[in-house]
Amino acid sequence: MRTTLDPFQAIADPSRREILMLLTKDKQTINGLAGNFDMSRPAVSKHIKVLYDAGLIMINNQGRERYCELKPDGFDRLKEWLEYFDKFWHNKLQNLENLLNQRKNEDN
Amino acid sequence: MQRDLVIKWHFPHPAEKVWECLTTPELVSQWLMKNDFKPVVGHKFNFFTKPIPKMGFDGIVYCEVIEIVPGKKLVYTWKGGSAPDNLSLDTILTWTLTPREDGTELLLEHKGFKGFKNYITSIFMGSGWRKHIPRRMAQVLNEMK
Repeated sequence: MRTTLDPFQAIADPSRREILMLLTKDKQTINGLAGNFDMSRPAVSKHIKVLYDAGLIMINNQGRERYCELKPDGFDRLKEWLEYFDKFWHNKLQNLENLLNQRKNEDN
Repeated sequence: MQRDLVIKWHFPHPAEKVWECLTTPELVSQWLMKNDFKPVVGHKFNFFTKPIPKMGFDGIVYCEVIEIVPGKKLVYTWKGGSAPDNLSLDTILTWTLTPREDGTELLLEHKGFKGFKNYITSIFMGSGWRKHIPRRMAQVLNEMK
C-alpha cells in the first residue's frame, strides 16, 4: 500500500485525531464515524482518506459496508521519527567530540 | 506525557572550547550541519542538510535563537517539515554546559514533539486499543516515559 503522507501531518488535525480516538474503541463503518461529526459525510471521508494515506488506518469491505480500523504498522513510522532523533543526536555529539579532540591536537 | 529527548554527554575539554564549537557557525557546520547561526537572541537562522522525503522533511531546519547565557546555555527553536509553510516538527533545543573537574558535561534537551503529545496520549488512553496493542506499541510507550 502506498503511504505518501507524513503521519505528523495526518494527526495535526483535531477531527482526524477524533476519528482515531473513535477507532481505538472498535472498528467502525465510515457512516458510523460520520455520525459523530457535524461535518458532511464527504468531509469525513476526506479525513479518512488522509489517515489511510498516512498508513494509520486500514479500510476493509464487508458486504456493502466499508470498515475502518487502526493499522498498527502505521505507528512504526512515528516510532521511526522518535528513533531518528535519538540516533541523530548521538551521531552529532560523537562528531562534536571528534572535532574537540582534533582541535586540541592542533593546539599542541 | 510528552516526548522529550534528553542526552548527557561528557567531553574531556574545557567548557569554553565546547561553547566555541556550539556557537561558531564554521565549527557547528563541521559537526552538525551547514548553518547561518549567530549568537544573538532573536536571530533567525537555518540548518541545511539532505532532504528526507519519506519523513516529510525538506532538508532545512528553521531556527530562532531564544536564549544565550555565554559559556553556559544556548536555546533555539528547531522546526522542520516538508515546506516552510508546513512545519510539522515544532521543537526547542537547549544546550547546557556544566564545567566538571575533568572536562565539561553537556546536556542536550530536545523538547516539544507536540504531534506526539496530542496524538499518542489520546490514542493510548483509548480503552479498546489496549486489547490488541502489539508489543512494539508498548515499546513506544516505554521509550516515551
